[in-house]
Amino acid sequence: MMELLTGMLTTAVVAGAVLALAGTGELLSERVGVFNLGLEGLMSMGAVMAVIVVNAGHNTSTALLIVFGLGLLLGAMFAVATVVLRADQVLCGIALTFLGVGLAAWIGRSYSGQIVKAQFDVISIPILRDIPILGRALFEQTILVYLSYIILPVLVHCVLFNTRHGITVRSIGENPAAADASGIPVLRLRFCYVMLGSALATCAGSYLTLAFVPAWTEGLVAGRGWIALGLVTFANFMPLQVSLGAILFGTLSSFGFAAQANGWPIPSVVFSMLPYVGTVLFLFIRAIARRRGQKFWMVPAALGHPYFRDER
Amino acid sequence: MTSTSNVARSSGWRVQRLPTIDGRRRAIAYAIAFVLWLALVGGGLSLASFAVRDIVLRAISVTLGSSYGIQQTLTLAAPLLLTGLAVAVAMRIRVWNIGADGQFYMGAWAAAGVGLFLPEGPTWLMLTLMAIAAGLSGALWILIPAIGRAYLGISEIITTLLLTFVASFLVYYLASGPWRDPEVPTQAATARIIYELPALNDGAHLGIPISMLLVIGFGIFFNYSKWGYEITIAGANHDAAEYAGIPVRRRILQAMLISGMLAGLAGMIELTGVVYRLQGGMSNQYGALGIPIAAVASGSISGVAAAAGFFAILLNMGVSLQTQGLSVHSVLAITGLLLFLVAAAEAAARFSICRMSASLAKIPASGASI
Repeated sequence: MMELLTGMLTTAVVAGAVLALAGTGELLSERVGVFNLGLEGLMSMGAVMAVIVVNAGHNTSTALLIVFGLGLLLGAMFAVATVVLRADQVLCGIALTFLGVGLAAWIGRSYSGQIVKAQFDVISIPILRDIPILGRALFEQTILVYLSYIILPVLVHCVLFNTRHGITVRSIGENPAAADASGIPVLRLRFCYVMLGSALATCAGSYLTLAFVPAWTEGLVAGRGWIALGLVTFANFMPLQVSLGAILFGTLSSFGFAAQANGWPIPSVVFSMLPYVGTVLFLFIRAIARRRGQKFWMVPAALGHPYFRDER
Repeated sequence: MTSTSNVARSSGWRVQRLPTIDGRRRAIAYAIAFVLWLALVGGGLSLASFAVRDIVLRAISVTLGSSYGIQQTLTLAAPLLLTGLAVAVAMRIRVWNIGADGQFYMGAWAAAGVGLFLPEGPTWLMLTLMAIAAGLSGALWILIPAIGRAYLGISEIITTLLLTFVASFLVYYLASGPWRDPEVPTQAATARIIYELPALNDGAHLGIPISMLLVIGFGIFFNYSKWGYEITIAGANHDAAEYAGIPVRRRILQAMLISGMLAGLAGMIELTGVVYRLQGGMSNQYGALGIPIAAVASGSISGVAAAAGFFAILLNMGVSLQTQGLSVHSVLAITGLLLFLVAAAEAAARFSICRMSASLAKIPASGASI
């Protein structure tokens, strides 16, 4: 039983990390008012790029850095359309998903099934790892897991809610006209945060190939980008809740593991569906809960709306 | 609300943003986007050391140069017309059905269920039953996202897409498990469905004119009915429509259900006109392609027909070029690029650079029009 719980929790943590990282990226973008639906495409590009770099003989850190740079570049492309030209964010996001998924499958076809040559090492934290059940699941993981669940969310939380810059950033997502009037460079900051958010999403993709599975295959991302999008709404646009929600969403992937270990007589397709059905279910539960207590509903007021100076 | 904003204020040149764009400006912007798209795709392909000119010539001759190629293109156009229409109907009321593939699968699933398990009947009756089952099933598949969107404010973009994964898993599971045809060990598919859409001449099937008629019918319905008018008004401004007494939530629900129904019908037509067996991967991303089709048509129902034709040609080129090492995924990437450029062009068309006369430029740009 203990073994099973540890196994399930480990699976949940490992599967949820990618959602936490992508979700944090999306949160940055949505907090400044830009809905980035391109997560799935960005993650695909990140996953395949990481394999290409690593299999060319470089180490994992270099790969992560290059993937981050690629994410900035793709984010800049998205931001030119949505922030500078003020194109439809939904259409551009879907276009980015098509482009990323299609391009990744195309440039990755010769790498498909190849074993990834270098992956991130597990960093074991002494003392903490000996806690029963939780220890091995939480404190014997790769650096990316710590980064996704703890370091980044805490950092983002502190910056957003405890610094002057954080107020600036949040105000852009709430009321860009007021922010503009008080001298905040709305478009410039939006541009930067969309780039940064996209870069984190591509890094989340590289997590898949550098720490999660041993090889790139087509369709590897498998809707995780869309689940991460749901996670951000579910988490009320709060970084720490994104981190906690990611473990919850990750748990949905761990039932398949439990079923395999116990030989439950349920077709595996049920477990394949579970993350998607569960995400929809969670969104409904959260939305119904929100109807009772409206004050906790903190969607950035300007989310999805391009900002024009003359339309305030 | 003033109509201009000054970006480059110091010089005599100004970037203005126009409040509306006329057809000419939009046409020019789309043309530029299209040329840019061709250049980028061509450049990308030649970088990947493809002989672009040969590929294009070959693709055109294969898709449009023979009657077989044209039939193939028309056959691909049938589901694209319906999924494009499905997305466009929802888009009218500013709702995104990006999970048309899911409804497509569920439509095909319901049609296959009727065809495989109901007692045998005359073909026309069974096809009608299959179409009804497919439409209902597609509508049912979008019901939960529609309720979530209309009454709880849950983003339909995320829910419709997530349910697509569920639908494709379900169909794959049935086709490779419980419903699998044991007599065909090489293929994970159900038994062949005995009811087929009648063929028109050699190759093309009845689903093509049916899809076309549906597009035309919806075009007329949207432009000349009170309901269609209310949808359009609600799409333009939810609050104003609510104020005018239009039941916006109910209209959103209705539009989404119709959208799901159309996508489900596309699944039935593809099943009974082309593949004949329910199998995983049969949606072929027709539902996803419905999004660029509706977007390029910019919500106009009649534009859907032209856009679906264009994407059918594109898809057919992609299919026919697989032997050259270009996969279906490159079609997805190429489509994404086009969608991106079109969306950007639509926005860019609103900007105009104009030269202010010296006297105007000297006026300090404070005051009303910052």
